[in-house]
Amino acid sequence: MFEFLEHTSDVGIRARGRTREEALVAASQGLVSILVNPSPFRPVEERYFKAPGTDETAQIINWLNEVLFFFDTDGLVFVEFEIDSWTNGEITGRARGERFDIDRHEFRTAVKAATYHQFESHPTSDGWEIRVFVDV
Amino acid sequence: MQLEKIDDYRWLIPRTYKAGMLTDAVVYASEPLLEAIRRDQSLEQAANVAMLPGIVGRALAMPDIHQGYGFPIGGVAAVDGQDGVVSPGGVGFDINCGVRLLNSNLTLKEVKVKLRDLVHQLFRDVPSGTGQSSRLNISDNDLDQVLQKGPQWAVEHGMGSEADLDRTEERGCIAGADPDAVSARAKQRGKPQLGTLGSGNHFLEVQYVDEIFDEKTASEHNLVKDRIVVLIHTGSRGLGHQICTDYVGQLDVTMRRYGLDLPDRQLACAPIHSPEGQRYLHAMAGAANFAWTNRQLISHSVRGAFQRLFGEAVHLPVIYDVAHNIAKIETHLVDGKKKRVLVHRKGATRAFPKQPVFIPGSMGTASYFLLGQEGALYETFGTACHGAGRVLSRSAAKKGVTAKEIQKELESRGIIVQSLTREGLTEEKPDAYKDIEAVVDVVQGAGLASRVARLRPIGVIKG
Repeated sequence: MFEFLEHTSDVGIRARGRTREEALVAASQGLVSILVNPSPFRPVEERYFKAPGTDETAQIINWLNEVLFFFDTDGLVFVEFEIDSWTNGEITGRARGERFDIDRHEFRTAVKAATYHQFESHPTSDGWEIRVFVDV
Repeated sequence: MQLEKIDDYRWLIPRTYKAGMLTDAVVYASEPLLEAIRRDQSLEQAANVAMLPGIVGRALAMPDIHQGYGFPIGGVAAVDGQDGVVSPGGVGFDINCGVRLLNSNLTLKEVKVKLRDLVHQLFRDVPSGTGQSSRLNISDNDLDQVLQKGPQWAVEHGMGSEADLDRTEERGCIAGADPDAVSARAKQRGKPQLGTLGSGNHFLEVQYVDEIFDEKTASEHNLVKDRIVVLIHTGSRGLGHQICTDYVGQLDVTMRRYGLDLPDRQLACAPIHSPEGQRYLHAMAGAANFAWTNRQLISHSVRGAFQRLFGEAVHLPVIYDVAHNIAKIETHLVDGKKKRVLVHRKGATRAFPKQPVFIPGSMGTASYFLLGQEGALYETFGTACHGAGRVLSRSAAKKGVTAKEIQKELESRGIIVQSLTREGLTEEKPDAYKDIEAVVDVVQGAGLASRVARLRPIGVIKG
């Protein structure tokens, strides 16, 4: 579950889940929804994600930047995310999606990067919440 | 926040405002503009910039300032060239985002009759880069040469002339670019995007000279009323975004080793002369050179589109090309003494005396050709504003308006728009930005740059 937050020049994502992993998957889906209308995409191609970082913040930022990297290089739009392991040093996992086709799909806004600006990741009374602002 | 009024165009955030500020911050704004600026966090961010280790003079905020991430957009900070720090966030993700203005030998009357065809042709010939890659298909070696040489590479490949380079800031090449400082991922992201416009606030506009304020300068640049010009606004695409991402991540780790601490991790920095700081500057130079090459290649496509419709005799020489997201080593007077400083300009344009400065307005509104003034050299490290500056968030801009309505409204004013996305129109609608006239009034009133000509759009291409 995610929602977008107001910011003058950029876009914020508030993502929630029952667990930290679920919140990260929701944040990833939020990011994809800024890029494109995700509904027609199918999970037909898979990529491995590797997001190292000295702390949780850096790891989450790096994970989200993987989404942008594969969109820019392979044109891949991911609709399914799976986290295999989340250690003190890195998050690893997989994402499945389909290549963007300008004639069939709706492109929305290019995203340059996920940022540390006003970043938050913390437990809540019923699960976990991540807040991240991306530069568009 | 309590601001001290200096005069009608300048406001002071004293260094006593917040613990950690090393200097005062000055905001260039009129009273009404300041009201708009106060609505977001940009003044807090300007105060944070005053905390950059090694900052000299004052932290500066241009009249188009708005909230960024870490640094405000429209923020300027010069740091000591020896002991200061470099902050990738003080340049931004879109390294050397900038504007280039092309002149032409066509009049408004000549172009108007074929305007729709021209806009379609430009839309076809200048790829946005999303779902349509660059048509260049360059090798890895070519990409390394672009990083090192900038648009000289394009000239060597028949896509420009020496005259184009002469009219580009730094002749399109910051020395010291090192392809090895640029990650494989950044190269992978950037390679298919060379020669593409991008989306968001990037655009290409066919404009005409609506009014001339400074006849002498206009005639030096061969500009007359009703002359057609082309404004190109884009940057270093995914290459620059990835370089900034890579180095913010790296410096976030290493800054602790150097005992540096700042209120926002997105301001991560390194001493200029540390190995990490130098590596970033070498990578940033490569991205800057890539961006100048990008605008050069787009110019080449624009020239082709115009020639196809108006014949071989049409030529579109460069008036000037200037960066507005960059960090550069320059010599400035600080406390009456010449000093080598690293000037971070994030959403701010270099405006040296007699140098052309281009200030794009929001979509469908006028843009300005200004000339840098002495005043900028004395108080802003030779810097002026870079645009109108957003006031509405993207989601607020989209509310209650459709892309079709915007397109229709612009057409009723004689402006033909073609955009790859609906968001390109709704998020960038004219009233999402401050009034360009108010921004330019401040820049001129404060003596940073003066009006040369007002340019009005008739054709807009958006990614």
